[in-house]
Amino acid sequence: MNKSEIFADGFWHNNTVFAQLLGMCPLLGVTTSAENGFWMGAATVIVLIGSNLVVSLVRGIIPKNVRIPAYITIIAALVTVVEMAMNAWMHEMYLVLGLFIPLIVVNCAILGRAEAFASKNSVIDSLVDALAIGTGFTFALLLLGGVRELLGQGELFGFSVFGASYPDVLMFILPPGAFIALGFILAGVNIFNARMQQRSDERAHAANIALAALAADIAAVEVSS
Amino acid sequence: MKIDRDQIRMVIALFVVAVIAAAVTGLTNMFTREPIANAQKAALHNALQQVLPLHANDPQTEKVTVNDTTIYPAKKANGQLTGLAWEVTAPDGYSGSIRILVGLRPDASVQAIRIIYHRETPGLGDGIVKNNHWLDSFTGHGLDSRIWKVKKDGGDFDQFTGATITPRAVVKAVKGALEFFHVHHDLILERVMLAQIPANNTTKGGLH
Repeated sequence: MNKSEIFADGFWHNNTVFAQLLGMCPLLGVTTSAENGFWMGAATVIVLIGSNLVVSLVRGIIPKNVRIPAYITIIAALVTVVEMAMNAWMHEMYLVLGLFIPLIVVNCAILGRAEAFASKNSVIDSLVDALAIGTGFTFALLLLGGVRELLGQGELFGFSVFGASYPDVLMFILPPGAFIALGFILAGVNIFNARMQQRSDERAHAANIALAALAADIAAVEVSS
Repeated sequence: MKIDRDQIRMVIALFVVAVIAAAVTGLTNMFTREPIANAQKAALHNALQQVLPLHANDPQTEKVTVNDTTIYPAKKANGQLTGLAWEVTAPDGYSGSIRILVGLRPDASVQAIRIIYHRETPGLGDGIVKNNHWLDSFTGHGLDSRIWKVKKDGGDFDQFTGATITPRAVVKAVKGALEFFHVHHDLILERVMLAQIPANNTTKGGLH
């Protein structure tokens, strides 16, 4: 796979949320607003880049039987570093996300990438994969957070969108709203993917017909000559 | 017992990973300890500015401890006490504890309160942070001038639409702060006045 294929695969076709349905805990837990979703995603991107980098650097060195505990130790150390850094330099956001940052350790998406990709691929490819998976995950968090904030409070990134008279639909802020909004987003993604597939099928079909017509023409020309 | 080389390699690999991970987190801790302390201090400073009356001193350096409660006094330049603040915890919030900084006047009425930590539901319980009108409804009131309950429970404080548990917990905790002041009034004032640091004499001993 070349770099852009790796990126497209990680960001969309193999998206942690839309395709793999992994990382549901932070996804449903922190996405009460677009901003929370974004920063949770950003923290995940940093951890993912670090873990993919380190795991791909040590691939082949760590014996197969102990690779999982080794990866988990690496990921836990990275998460702790990110947590302390956020506490020091982004104190307010740390207070908001507090509980969910340590949970990045158990986001199976990260161990999943270490195991499925970084342990088998070069450092550069692993970094591209981390960036793709990470931004794809952030995009999903941002989308879900934005939808919930918009429908729940009529705001986006804290700015009023629907005006003060908007009746807050609290269900979308509460956990059930997270599941409902995610369900509709997944349905939308599936419709989009099906349309894209259909379009590329049609194109292939049209190409086949054109090719067949061309072949028939050539055959006709050959027969008549 | 024969130990094969693969087993030794496993142990060494895990050992090295663990040592490096410990070193990295240890180093990060070293570098972030001071910024974290500063960030916490700055956050507390901001909150104190909001709950205390105008003051000329630094409440954080003049803090005293009474019954395991850290009390931050506010004083004028001439040393006169204008207010006191301390943190109370409402353990019965809707989702976990709520930490509240309560600022009191020397006459045992509330100057202001600020929520410094909570996990209440956005759009519902987080009115305790966003609803300034509600926060202001505490100002000026002491134990006797208000019934310290939400209106649903027959008290004087508003609950929010769809959220009673959160304001109920906060009202109860603030009432707790007032009761604490009532019970330990003399001791608190004594400690606070004793702790007074002369403005121009901050040398730490050694001059005797």
